[in-house]
Formats: sequence, structure tokens, C-alpha cells
Amino acid sequence: MKRVIHWWTEERRAYLLLALPAVAVYWAVMAFPTVFSFILSLTNYNGGPVFNNPNIQFVGFTHYLRMFRDQYFWISLKNNTLIILISVFGQIPLGFLFAYVIHRKLVKFTGFFQTIIYLPCVISTIIVGRLWRSFFSPYGPFTEFMQKFQPGWENELFFDPKLAIVPVLFVILWMYTGTYMIIFLANLQKIDPALIEAARIDGATEWQVLTRIMLPSLSGVIVTASILAISGSLKSFDLLFAMTAGNPARRTSVLALYMYDTAFKHSPKYPLANAISVFMVMLSLLLIVLVKLTEAKFGGRE
Amino acid sequence: MLKKCTFFVLALLLVAGVFVPASFAEEPIKITVLNYFDLTSPGAEREINEVWYEFSVRNPHIIVEREDLFLDAFHQKTEAYAAADMLPDVIYMWPGGRSTSLHTLGLVKDLRPLLGEDAKYYQEAVLAPQAGGFLAELPQTMTSSHALYVNVALLDSLGLSMPETYEELVAMVPVLKENGLDTILMGAQDDWVIQSCLFSMIVGRLVGDEKLNEILAGEAKFTDPEFLSALEFYAQMYEDGVLHRRIMQTDYAEVNGLFATGRAPFMVDGDWKVSNFLTDQTTGEALIPVDRQHEFKMTIFPAIPGEINKASSSGVVGVGFGMNAKIPAGSAKEAAAWELIKWLQGPEVQKMRLETAGTIPSRVDVTSDNIEPLVVERIRYYEDIAITTEVLDNIFQGEVYTPINIGLQEIGLGFATPMEVAERIQEAFDDWFARQ
Repeated sequence: MKRVIHWWTEERRAYLLLALPAVAVYWAVMAFPTVFSFILSLTNYNGGPVFNNPNIQFVGFTHYLRMFRDQYFWISLKNNTLIILISVFGQIPLGFLFAYVIHRKLVKFTGFFQTIIYLPCVISTIIVGRLWRSFFSPYGPFTEFMQKFQPGWENELFFDPKLAIVPVLFVILWMYTGTYMIIFLANLQKIDPALIEAARIDGATEWQVLTRIMLPSLSGVIVTASILAISGSLKSFDLLFAMTAGNPARRTSVLALYMYDTAFKHSPKYPLANAISVFMVMLSLLLIVLVKLTEAKFGGRE
Repeated sequence: MLKKCTFFVLALLLVAGVFVPASFAEEPIKITVLNYFDLTSPGAEREINEVWYEFSVRNPHIIVEREDLFLDAFHQKTEAYAAADMLPDVIYMWPGGRSTSLHTLGLVKDLRPLLGEDAKYYQEAVLAPQAGGFLAELPQTMTSSHALYVNVALLDSLGLSMPETYEELVAMVPVLKENGLDTILMGAQDDWVIQSCLFSMIVGRLVGDEKLNEILAGEAKFTDPEFLSALEFYAQMYEDGVLHRRIMQTDYAEVNGLFATGRAPFMVDGDWKVSNFLTDQTTGEALIPVDRQHEFKMTIFPAIPGEINKASSSGVVGVGFGMNAKIPAGSAKEAAAWELIKWLQGPEVQKMRLETAGTIPSRVDVTSDNIEPLVVERIRYYEDIAITTEVLDNIFQGEVYTPINIGLQEIGLGFATPMEVAERIQEAFDDWFARQ
């Protein structure tokens, strides 16, 4: 009895009072659905009541095997990988470059450029998708523009399975680079200007300032940006849904779209869709661990 | 005395005030509706005013809570509601196809007993049993999923005439190409379009419903020569230049403007597409103005070499509204939901749909003298159809027609051969069949 009273201290109570609501919300909206999704992926559930349903049976990893045998899964995974690559190795370096140029005032009208680069982020993704879809249409402005230079040019951007995703990657790069620019710009402003000033007085070049001061100071931010880019890329859905809906012939599909089509399009296959979502969570965790390990090995100290 | 009388009257009024509303006022009944509705269509405003608002005026004791969705968003929400066992009271449905699970899982009621004597007002064909073997929705029309829209004025300007055969259509391709025009337009970026609006017709012509029913019964295969020949003919259409791969990069709505502005003399779509060209009553504008509508014609695809069904088109009994099976029989809610369904297929509403969308009424007592030339043409177009054959996504389950939908795009893009696609469809069918 005494031990219980000892454990139930005021400090502990305050701790629980502060932490429990957040834990409960996290469990309800994040952890529970993930675990539940995993359980459903092992069953034959396909609609109707989930609890006390006598028709639900456990079928093991059947749906995972089915997923790995489906060619559209691999097409979607490949496209997701490309989106991750363009996000991590395209958006982040480009975002940093723009932030650096603006922060160091290497161009005039920095406010103008900052606004222009960030502007796509504030437009609804669905609108952006529809606009770019019209732009890349075989009857749209892009085709007409190209035909000005090369009469008779055929817009076959989406017809080559290897190239079909390229216009989407371009739009993703255009749309989200501004977000990373803002993140880097905010963090660059935290670096003490006296430090850079001192380095320049000591004869450091712009390149040395960038590589010896700026980048090491921002390694933590780069990791955060990478995690955001990876998780954002894995859940890519809205832009693709509006721009191509995964077509033609699912060649521009991604995992989230593949999961959505499996769950809701035509005849629903909920367990398979749950297997895809569990795979996405696992892949996301794996990639984030890899990023953390890379940072631990090569990252500088802020 | 006066005081006493006043007191008595006041007391009476007080008692009446307390008890009369409770005894005479009818308790409002709330009906939830999931409605398939294109808010951008020219007839949208009339539908809101003349269908939904008018119903609430006529039935103040029924409160309708409506959710409007269109295209895939509608189907996905339906599946989500069905999975969560939370279907609304009244739901827009297809007689099969993407609504199949509502029929086969018995999630909606058989409306035939409720229809009773009123059946006499409907064409007999539209009241046939649907995917679940019963009348799950009360159809508002018959629908042809294939129609060849023709810009006759454009053909005339090029010195061309309506092709009677596929060979004549192929012969037009070089002339059209020289003039920078496409032959057939389709808004086929969504994968259902080719299957529903073109390939189902080809299957009807070259394979026929009898063979399809054999496939459905597991007695024939998609890899048999008949079905394969349909896929091969479809592939041939690209080689002949009749179809171009860019149809798969063309949005379903984008094609309306392209056809109206003469990018090609032909367009393939369902007969419902007509509504997109009619006059929007709110703006008075139309993609094809009334004075130009006589320049356009609706017909069916020309004769295909080797066809066993001549002048056929693919079609289904039309869409309509069904009722949630969980509503207790004989309840006030059932009566209210039925009142709404009856109204939605009533003469006033069907007349409005005929005028705004050219929807052929399923009732025998509906006509109008306020219709545009393209609507008249839609009605006339049915005279061109000798036989109506099945639409593939109406008779096969999603897991079977999905590989058909994707496979047709793959053939068009050159990613797969007809045989590879046929094998994939058969594999999907075998999987489905084994579980039945």
C-alpha cells in the first residue's frame, strides 16, 4: 500500500495529466489504425461489420504474396522511388540553393523570388493537378508551344512507360521546392552573421562559407527535411489523382493510388489495400531509419 | 361575466397551444440520400429547383439530407458506406456494374412490392430483375453505353460522307490527317471509358451475349478465338489510325469541347454525353448552340468485318434510386423514402430530365415539346440500334473487368498484345470463379 502511495506522487500525476491526452489521441488516430490495418491485412474481410462477423477468417500473408505478384505494385513502387529521389535529391538541394542565394542576397529582388518560388505551395493541389493536366494535354498549350518549334511534333509524353512519370516529377519539383526553401531560409537566419563575417575576414571564400559553416550547421535541418520529403513522397496521392489518376494503364500510379484503387475502385479488396498500407508504413520507417543512420555517420554538429 | 369569458377563452387557447401542435403536427421524417450529380452540367440548376426543392415543398414532413457526388468520388463513397454498413436511406444506383455489391449483398430492398399497380406506368423492359435478381432500383431510362457522334457539317466540308463500313472509315483517315484532324475522339484517360463506350460494342458485334454467358458460366474462355478477335480488332483500330493513343491522355470532360469545336468528325461515348452539349438554362450558353445542333448526328459504329450481330450497340437498363434494406418494412420512414423514389421517377422529373439531358423516359406517360434538336436526335438514334448487347462492366465483377479496362489501355499503348491481355483477364476470372 505504501509503495502505491509512493508511486502516485504529485509529479507523476502532473506528468500523466500532461502526457495521457496526447498519448490517447496518438493511439486513437495513429497507432491503433496502423495495428488494426495490419490485422485486417491478414484476414479475408471484405465489407460489412468488422466485429462479430462470422465470415471473417485469418488467411495469413496471402494478400502480401498477391501484392508482390502484381505488376502494378512494382510499377507503383518504382514511381514512388522516383518521387522520393526527386524529392530528396531534387527539392532539398534546390530548396537549399534558392534559400542560400536569397539569404546571402546574391540576387536582387529577393522578396520577389521568395514569393514566386513559394507560390505553388499555397495553391490547392487539386487545382495544380488539373492545370498541369490541361497544360500537358495533347491538345494543350505545351503541345502547341512545342509545335511552334517543331511542326508536327507529337505529344507522346505519357505513352512511353519509362517517361510517363517525368511530367509528374517535374510538377512535384516545381510545387514543393518552395517549402524546403522556406525551411532552410528560416534556419539560415538563425546562424550568427558574425560567424560568417569572421570567416570572410579570415579569407574564407563563398564556397568555404557554404561547405564549412552553413551546411554543417544545417545537417539536422537537412535530416528533418529528408524525413518530410520521404514521408510526403510515400503518401503522394492528391496531385497524381488530379493530374493522371495513375493512367495511362496505371503507368503513373504510386503506392497510395494503388492502395486507393484497390480499396475503393471497382470491386473493393480491403485486405489487399491494408497490406499495401502496411507495406508503405514499413517502407517509410525503413527509409527514415536509413536517413537517421546517414546523419549520425556523416552529419555535422549544429 | 366578461372576465370569466375571457379567462375561459384564454385557458382554452393555452390548452390548445400545448396539445394541438403535438397531436396534429406531423413528426418530420429525415431521409438521407446519396445522389450522383454533375453540378457543372447545363441542367444542374433545374434539377436542384424542380426536383429536390419542389419535393421539399410538396412534402414538408420529409426532410431530405442530400449528398451530391460525381464520377469516381461517388462510387468510392458508396463502397465506403457499404463497407461501414452506413448506407444512406435512398441511393443512386446502377442496375449492376459498379453497384453490383449493393445488389448481390442485399443491401437494398426489392422495390417491386412497393411499386405495385404503378408498374403499369413503366416500360416492361426497365422493370426486369437486376444484378441481384430483383428490382433494386427504379430505372429512369434505358442507356446505350456506345454512340458514335458525328459532326456532319465537318464531314461535308471535307467532301466525306457517313461511313457504312469499317473499311470506309479507314479510308477517311488519310484525308482527315491531311487536314490536321483526328478521326475518332474519346476522353479515355479514365480506364473505364474504352471498355464501356467502345469495346463492349465490339464484343457485342464479334462475340455476342451467348458466348459471354458461356464465359460467365465457366464454359468458355476469354482466350477463345471469338473474344481474342474482339481484342485484335480493337488493336487494329490503332494500326489503321482510326484511334490514336492520345485518347488515353484526353480527359473525359476535355473531349466535349474538342468535339464541339471540330477537332475530329467522330466521337465515341455513351448516349448520355448529349447532355453536355445542350443549353445551360442559367447562362443561355451551349457547347453546341441550338442553331448548330442539326449539324450533328448520333448513330452506331459502322459494320465491323466478321460481325455476328449487325447494327448492335451495348446498353443497359438505366440508373435509378434504390432503398436501404435496413429501413423497417411498413414504417413511416419506408413510406417517406418510397415517396421520394416515386417522385424521382415521376412524370414531372422524367420530363425535366428529357428536356435537360435528353434522357429517354422509362415511363410510358412522359413527353415534351420543349426539347432541343440534339435531344430529338438522341431519341431517333435508338432507331439505328437493331440489337442491344451487354456492357462488360455490367455483367462481370470488378476484379474481372478491371484487367479488361487496364488491358485495353495497354493494347492501345503497345504495352501488351491482345493474347497477353486475354490471358490476364482469364486468370482474374478463374480466381473469381474459384471463389464462387
